[in-house]
Amino acid sequence: MSVLWEGLLQGMRGVGTIALVVIPLMITLEIAESNGWLQKLNRVVSKPFRTIGLSEEGAFPVVVAMVFGLTFGSGVIINHVRRGQVSRKEARVTGTFMALAHALIEDTLIFWALGAPFLLLLAPRLLVAYAMAYIVHKLTPAES
Amino acid sequence: MLEVTGKMVWKGAKAGLDTTWELAKVVVPTAIVVAIFRASGLLDTITALFAPYMGFFGLSGQTAIVLFSGYFINLYAAAGSILALSLPVQEIAITSVMLGLCHSLLVELPVSQKAGSPLGYIFLIRLGCSLAMGWLLGVVLP
Repeated sequence: MSVLWEGLLQGMRGVGTIALVVIPLMITLEIAESNGWLQKLNRVVSKPFRTIGLSEEGAFPVVVAMVFGLTFGSGVIINHVRRGQVSRKEARVTGTFMALAHALIEDTLIFWALGAPFLLLLAPRLLVAYAMAYIVHKLTPAES
Repeated sequence: MLEVTGKMVWKGAKAGLDTTWELAKVVVPTAIVVAIFRASGLLDTITALFAPYMGFFGLSGQTAIVLFSGYFINLYAAAGSILALSLPVQEIAITSVMLGLCHSLLVELPVSQKAGSPLGYIFLIRLGCSLAMGWLLGVVLP
C-alpha cells in the first residue's frame, strides 16, 4: 500500500508543479494570439526560414506547430497543400522541421518544471530541426 | 495595442486546466506503475538489461523506462517516470532533450504521415536525431 501512496504522491506533486507553469502560460498564449502576435512572430522568423526554402506561407504551419503542436501545424499544412499554397517540396521541409520541433512551449515547460535547464531544452531541438530541414531542402530536387 | 479581456483569460485558463487534467491522467498512473516496478524488483531487471546501452548516453540503466515511456506513450508518461525515479538533474536534462526530439511515436507518426511525410522517414529522422543528441550530451555534459 505504501508503494502505491508513494507513487500517487510523487505523481500528484509533479502535476501540481507543472500546473503552476502551464496555466499562466496558456493564459499568456491566448492573449498573445488574440492580439495577432502569431502573425507578427511569423514575419520575424520568416527570414531564417527562407534559407531552408520556405516562403512566408510555408513558414506559417511551422510557426503554428512550434507554438501549438504537431497536430495543429499538420492541419495547416494539409490545408495549404490542398489549396496549392505550398509545394510538395515545401511540405516535406516543413514536415521534417515540425516533426522534430513542435509544441516547444509546452514540452519545454514540462521538463523545465522537472529541473532540466531551459536553454538546453530549446536550443538543441531548434538547431537539429533547422539542420535537418536544411539538408532535406538541399537534397530534394526542385519540382517541375 | 495590447488588449486583454476576461474572455481571453478565461479561455486560456481553461486550456491550461484541460492540459493539466490530460497530464494528470497520464502522469499519476505512470508514477504509480513505476513505483510498483521499483518495489517489485522488476525495475532492477530492466535496469540490468539496459544499463550497458544507457551508458552510451551518459545515463543510468533505470532511465531506459523514461525513454520507453516517452518514445512510445508520451512526454507526460516520461515525466511520471522521471518523478517516480527521482533522477539526478543531469540525467533529467539528457533524457528531456532526447525525448523532445522523439516522443509519442504511436500518435505522432501517423499525424506526420497525414501531413505528407513518409512514416518510416520521420521515424528514422526522429529516433536518429534523439540518439545522436543523447550521445553528444553524454560526451559534452560534465
